[in-house]
Amino acid sequence: MIPVDSLSVALLQTGFVDGLLDFLQPDVLAGVVVRGLAKSAIYIMIAAGLTLIFGLLGVLNFAHGALTMIGAYLGGLVMVLTVANGTGPWTRLALFFVAMTVVFGLLAALGGSIELSLIRPLYDRPPIYQILLTFGLTLVLEELVRIVVQFYGLQPIAKWQQALGTIPVFLETTQSLGPLSVRGLVFFEILLGALSVAGIWGFLTRTRYGLFIRAGSEDSEMAEALGIDVRRVFTVVFALGAGIAGIAGTLLMWDQVWGASVPLAADTLLPAFVVVIIGGLGTFRGTVVGGLVVGLVDATTTWWFQNVVVTWTWLPEVAIFLILVVALIVRPQGIYGVEEVGGH
Amino acid sequence: MSLLEVDGIETYYGESHILEGVSLSVERGEVVALMGRNGVGKTTTLRSVLQLTPPRSGTVRYDGTDLAGLRTHEVADMGVGWIPEDRRIFSQLTVEENLRVSVPDGSDVADALSVAFETFPILDERRDQPAGTLSGGQQQMLALGRGLVGDNDLLLVDEPSEGLAPQIVADVAEALAATASETTMLLVEQNLPLALDLADRFYVLDNGRVVDDGDADAVSADDERLRRYLSA
Repeated sequence: MIPVDSLSVALLQTGFVDGLLDFLQPDVLAGVVVRGLAKSAIYIMIAAGLTLIFGLLGVLNFAHGALTMIGAYLGGLVMVLTVANGTGPWTRLALFFVAMTVVFGLLAALGGSIELSLIRPLYDRPPIYQILLTFGLTLVLEELVRIVVQFYGLQPIAKWQQALGTIPVFLETTQSLGPLSVRGLVFFEILLGALSVAGIWGFLTRTRYGLFIRAGSEDSEMAEALGIDVRRVFTVVFALGAGIAGIAGTLLMWDQVWGASVPLAADTLLPAFVVVIIGGLGTFRGTVVGGLVVGLVDATTTWWFQNVVVTWTWLPEVAIFLILVVALIVRPQGIYGVEEVGGH
Repeated sequence: MSLLEVDGIETYYGESHILEGVSLSVERGEVVALMGRNGVGKTTTLRSVLQLTPPRSGTVRYDGTDLAGLRTHEVADMGVGWIPEDRRIFSQLTVEENLRVSVPDGSDVADALSVAFETFPILDERRDQPAGTLSGGQQQMLALGRGLVGDNDLLLVDEPSEGLAPQIVADVAEALAATASETTMLLVEQNLPLALDLADRFYVLDNGRVVDDGDADAVSADDERLRRYLSA
């Protein structure tokens, strides 16, 4: 029998109780929630395109992370080219929205072309063909970016510091709101996430095209028989999904935790899959709720690991995948998922 | 010229030969019943017209136009509506959204919806409800309503009474009669009294071939002429 070191147990218990008391302090709790919402905003934005595409086309787009990564580099490129040392913070913010619009357009065009030329011929084949194709596409896109980035003398694995440096000073520095003190970027991420969710939600529920997408997601053959050119809707949705990935990438280009780098492709793809699986593949509402769950759990575990248990920054990521495992056991179809979606 | 003219179509699912030279026609304003046992090719005939399962040979002409090579949404845009077996309403969309999907581009949405709401007032009462929460009979009315707002000249209606309780079938029969007064209809139905009551003419399919046809008035549901092809 292993002797129980009662002193260690007592110390651990004291540590846990102290930690819990600290965690429940209003300013600490508010800080965790706000950081969690910022993480949620990012998770939702990187997963939204993935879920829209799967919901309608039934295609699991493994190239989604690569599109996000290209968005980060392109957004960074627009910022680096337009921002000079003397550029004021508000001008930088305005330029960010210009970059976001440009990147959305470019990525949407790239996504539309990918759907038309590569995915379309595979719709009648088993899903494994689409998975292999988009996985292969990821490898090609990553290598292309690696070549271009190295050609311009940048290190593909490290974050692109020059792009990180274009952030306006008020987003870079700590801002206070009541008892809260967090980086300005945290608030900006929440704001942009909320705007994106509202925009996508409005498009899906308030426009005729959004209605076609929701109808097609449920039964694309029936939608076609009611006069909807479902193939064209497929292309538009793939383009939109890629464009949204680009917007997310542009935002990540400013975030110290992420930043523009080639590994961003895989770093964003994994959490995006976790979010859509927890929320239910193919439902946008599920992605929003899944993103909130993952973001808040991530922020909570990050605080606990950094302040109470052990200072090791990779550990909170384990928590995300633990939620995934629990979700797959308890509710494999996800919070809002149905048994089958994306049939065509 | 017939509104719909199907001439010698041969349709396959993979290697299975389903329709072996089916020919039929539907005149404008008619209700034509297509009858036969399960698995003889009735649904495939409707799917062939819509180009969902395009025939390998033979022709389908709608209003004089050969439909070969057209996509299904183009056939639908020409005025061919489909009320499929098991209705296939969009269960997560509201009743009104289900109808809106069918309104052709450029049409006045309110006008189009009013056609369905006047024919089926229950749909108006439930317009904001998710369509998946409707009863089977109401879902059938929604499916028919979708055909009406589509401004279609021809409705292909597949087994509208299937799976419904007898008292609901009476409601559906009434709904079909109301729909038939507005449009031309090719009706697949195994409920013989219902089909013959609505139809002007009928065709009987057996093993992928038309084996009988005639005026609906000339036969009754008890006729041996029909029974031999329809009883299990």
